[in-house]
Amino acid sequence: MDPDTVGALLQAAIEAVDGLADLGESIEDEWSYVNDLRQAWTDRLVEAADGPAGAHSAGPALVEAIQLAIDEAGRISDPHRAIDWLSTLPQVVLLAAGFEA
Amino acid sequence: MRFQDAARDGRAVVYATIQADPLVARVAELLAAASRAERILARAVMNGESTDAERWRRIFPTLFGPGPDAAGRERAEAVLAGSLAVADKGEQVRSQFRGAIVEELTARLLARRTPAAAVRRERRILFDGVPAEIHPYDVTVEVAGSARAYDCKWGARGINADVLHQLDDARSHALDEDGSLAVALVVFDAERSCRVRLDAQTAPHGATRLVALEQLDSLGGPGEAGR
Repeated sequence: MDPDTVGALLQAAIEAVDGLADLGESIEDEWSYVNDLRQAWTDRLVEAADGPAGAHSAGPALVEAIQLAIDEAGRISDPHRAIDWLSTLPQVVLLAAGFEA
Repeated sequence: MRFQDAARDGRAVVYATIQADPLVARVAELLAAASRAERILARAVMNGESTDAERWRRIFPTLFGPGPDAAGRERAEAVLAGSLAVADKGEQVRSQFRGAIVEELTARLLARRTPAAAVRRERRILFDGVPAEIHPYDVTVEVAGSARAYDCKWGARGINADVLHQLDDARSHALDEDGSLAVALVVFDAERSCRVRLDAQTAPHGATRLVALEQLDSLGGPGEAGR
């Protein structure tokens, strides 16, 4: 996949979602919820990436926005906050790329 | 069915201080007028690690880039500033502020179509022969024939069996008294995340309405009183 496409950016976001889920699932009571949430948002991001807009070239502002959002997710070390971000990051990324959540 | 002020225990007194903080009212007022995108900005900033405003502007190019008009940009800047003020607080205080903001936002949206005096906070609902719930309802609308109770959550993770049981029990007790009480969960999080959470719950929630981040404006809409 061309690294400058919207789809490639969304793929990078999916990897960040995985990182958050890996951290969040350390809260034992929330293991199922975390993995259900991971699946639900991954499905949505894949759907957006595989759609017609996924092949579009991403402008520099969009590239920077999604990279910074992923970086913000990467700063999180607290598993409780990771669960919050597991829901927040996809919303931020989809909004930046012009998709509905 | 009767409504009553909740007992003021130690936790309630501390939390009341948070609820009365001007920052809560300021952010709730901004979010009541905000777009969905601005609400996502607020959620991200109040959940985030960074408190660098410029960084957040770059994460949200649709709000701070060349697209929005001056009024839109000004509104987004105000939401960003208010959200950063909350994020600047320590983790525990930040969490309390976020909860209080969702409650205040809910009350303000409801008051668009309901006399403000009928929109109450921290109230218990009493039924004949039924022990009172320990936890008060976050927001109630106390209008004869259109009584409503709302539980407010910052995130989908706040949805749990206790909350769902309390809402559904109140609804069914009202029916037992030949009355009616509409119950709803207001969650400052994406509907998708809320549905994931709800789908895993076995507590009764079929008659509990979900108002997720995408539907917040419905609280101030014409259909709300008829729920």
